[in-house]
Amino acid sequence: MVQNIRLNRLLPLLPIYVVCISALLSCGKSVEDTTDYNKQYPTEAGGTLIDASTAEPSGLISMVAGESASSAISSHIFNSLLKYDKNLDLEGELVENWQISSDHKTITFKLKPNLKWADGKPLTSADVLFTWKLVTDEKTRSPYASDYQLVKKATTPDALTFSVTYDQAYAPALDSWAGLQILPKHLLENQDIHTTAFARNPVGSHYYKLDSWTHGENLKLSRNPTSVLGAAKIDKLVTRIIPDNSAQFLELMADNIDLMALDPIKYSRIIPARPELQKKLALYKELGNSYTYLGFNLKHKPFDDIRVRKAINYAIDKQEIIDGVYLGLGINIASPYKPGTRWSNPDLQPYSYDPNKAKTLLKEAGFIDSDGDGILDRDGKPFSFEIITNQNKEREKSAVLIQRRLKDIGIDVQIRAIEWASFISRFIKTGDFDAVVLGWSLGLDPDQFSIWHSSQNQPGQFNFIGYNNPQIDQLLEQGRLEMDIDKRTKIYHEFAKVLLEDSPIIYLSAGYGLSAIHKRVKGIDSPAPPAGIGYNSHEWYIPSPLRRIETGRNEISAN
Amino acid sequence: MNKSIFRKALSNPLALIGFIIIVSVFILAMLAPVISPFDPNNIDVKAILLAPSWQHWMGTDGLGRDVLSRMLHGGRISLLVGLVAVGIATAIGIVLGAIAGYYRGWIDTLIMRLVDVMLSIPSFFLILAVIAFLTPSIWNIMVVIGLTSWMSVTRLVRAEFLSLSGREFVLASRTLGAKDARLIFTHLLPNSLTPIIVSAVLGVAGAVLMESGLSFLGLGVQAPQASWGNILTDGKEYIQFAWWLSLFPGLAILITVLGYNLLGEGLRDALDPRSNNK
Repeated sequence: MVQNIRLNRLLPLLPIYVVCISALLSCGKSVEDTTDYNKQYPTEAGGTLIDASTAEPSGLISMVAGESASSAISSHIFNSLLKYDKNLDLEGELVENWQISSDHKTITFKLKPNLKWADGKPLTSADVLFTWKLVTDEKTRSPYASDYQLVKKATTPDALTFSVTYDQAYAPALDSWAGLQILPKHLLENQDIHTTAFARNPVGSHYYKLDSWTHGENLKLSRNPTSVLGAAKIDKLVTRIIPDNSAQFLELMADNIDLMALDPIKYSRIIPARPELQKKLALYKELGNSYTYLGFNLKHKPFDDIRVRKAINYAIDKQEIIDGVYLGLGINIASPYKPGTRWSNPDLQPYSYDPNKAKTLLKEAGFIDSDGDGILDRDGKPFSFEIITNQNKEREKSAVLIQRRLKDIGIDVQIRAIEWASFISRFIKTGDFDAVVLGWSLGLDPDQFSIWHSSQNQPGQFNFIGYNNPQIDQLLEQGRLEMDIDKRTKIYHEFAKVLLEDSPIIYLSAGYGLSAIHKRVKGIDSPAPPAGIGYNSHEWYIPSPLRRIETGRNEISAN
Repeated sequence: MNKSIFRKALSNPLALIGFIIIVSVFILAMLAPVISPFDPNNIDVKAILLAPSWQHWMGTDGLGRDVLSRMLHGGRISLLVGLVAVGIATAIGIVLGAIAGYYRGWIDTLIMRLVDVMLSIPSFFLILAVIAFLTPSIWNIMVVIGLTSWMSVTRLVRAEFLSLSGREFVLASRTLGAKDARLIFTHLLPNSLTPIIVSAVLGVAGAVLMESGLSFLGLGVQAPQASWGNILTDGKEYIQFAWWLSLFPGLAILITVLGYNLLGEGLRDALDPRSNNK
């Protein structure tokens, strides 16, 4: 009875529901985007660029945070002494010029005159010295400290001069100074770097300054009027925190963010299949400085046998991985350097796909199928091992393709995908694995001492595969000392050659970095220069007819 | 007796639907190697993420494998996990429940407190924690699900034993000098079987869901072996584009779980004396 009365009262509301729902449905369709994004527009300043990040930075002092979410934003706020230009040559950012002493041990940096922090205070060599002291301080516990700890002496003869002396010549030195963001002494002196409020309220010298930071939602940057490098074109940068990739993509489609990194399927299947997305999104691809590999635990048998490693290298069809996993958006490599750069040895050829050669090599190593079960064995033990990887779709798929190819030549492979934190702590750090599918993201300096040198295989260090080759050790040591760029190039070409021959890891693919940027953003270099599309982001601009209406959803949600 | 109960259960239309669903799913899974149009692990990098068509009825996945074939083979895994896990849980439940309900006293208290402790831990998280220490494989999954879901069966068997042991036929048998084993195996257990069967049938539905959940999280069946849960995971990323990767395994899980639940409820109605019209 009671329910009947309620129902009767609600019934007259039904037409209202219907009207509301139909209104909502029609709203979705009515906004037809008729803007022509492909037209040429003159350069002009202003506008807002909305980016998205899957993680929220823990703070904006990147030497302490040590995470990409932090440096992605702090690199708009702080300057370094040096930077890489479009073609990856070093040039001054805060410095006008630098000199290297004849014994290659001392570098003297000359700062540009009249540099200012965003709060109006002068930026001098004292700030640089302070930053160096901070990064090398034991209490800072910076993951980047090791490069700067090699500096024996740092001095500031005057307000515009900063000079560092190393114990012995250190070739990656300049690269390291391009990576250190200079912090203001007057705001951070006598503060605890781990707890200081400065990390959430930074004052820098670069193109932008932080306006607001809404926890779990967004960080808003606006143009720094006293920027040491002049003014950027775009007025405001908003970085929204959207942890889930699929949700980011929905926001990109709904025009609530302007750019995001894509996976191959989104890049070459989903966006091209939708004309309405193609109309407003421009796709970019650039070869990143990273690669995916199959690495062996060289302390485990039979991977200590070079014939076995080479056999597996011949048995894997890398082109199939590039086509199947990366939809063709990757390239086959033969050295641990970005193809086309100075450090990559052009004479090296990747191992071809040759299962017969693989079988011959395995036979030489003593593996035969003596019991006829299709799996090779040696000394009564079947050739079976486990590949582990983190829960990364591309890597899992690569492992499945490897599993199939190795089965063809009689090797039994199991695959296990493990969540990242336990992957690192339980398997990589303890060395409790047979083989891994993983990737390396590399810096621009060719020094890979920490990855390959035999001294670097303690738990937690990067040579977790246990690689130990005296010839490689020697080349890596030479490479660090050699200041002449041509001689240095030769050393790393030789290094890559020995590495390829020894095959401690199998290069699977160097994948392209893929991204989509809304076509309202102009001034982007395409095709991407060696330094990547982001190198001139301060010159990007958004013509006023193409800007978002600033009273829209994003403005409301952000406040 | 069992035959008539079964007939009675199936006279309930919903239970009949459940029964038909389960039988068809089983037949399809059994026949998977024969009726699958493709090898479920046959990778074809030229046929990645194809929409359903005459050639691939349920489309292809991210490595160009035929989804229909993977669904059929995955069905075997899902059903196997369900049956074995519930088998283990039921066996443990019967043994512990019988001991507790028959002997009572301190052993009853001990077993029942163990049940309380086990029930106080959310079972999915318990399973997650255990799997994290083991190598994920279907055998481990079955054992772990079995070892963490025996508690309700134990309670059920204990309750049945408690109520049955006061009944005349048990007292008569005891007076005639029957030993413990005879009492348990010829009198108490056969008369407790029907609620156990109902709980087992319902338990299979839970185990199928649990396996799908674990495989979805990457902790269950490992590549390249297919299971409904891990096909569903592959579909998650491309749900706006490759809907067939999410829809078909989702439907399969839904229908199977529904089937078990309908059958279980139908059996319960048929077996429950209170719903008996006679």
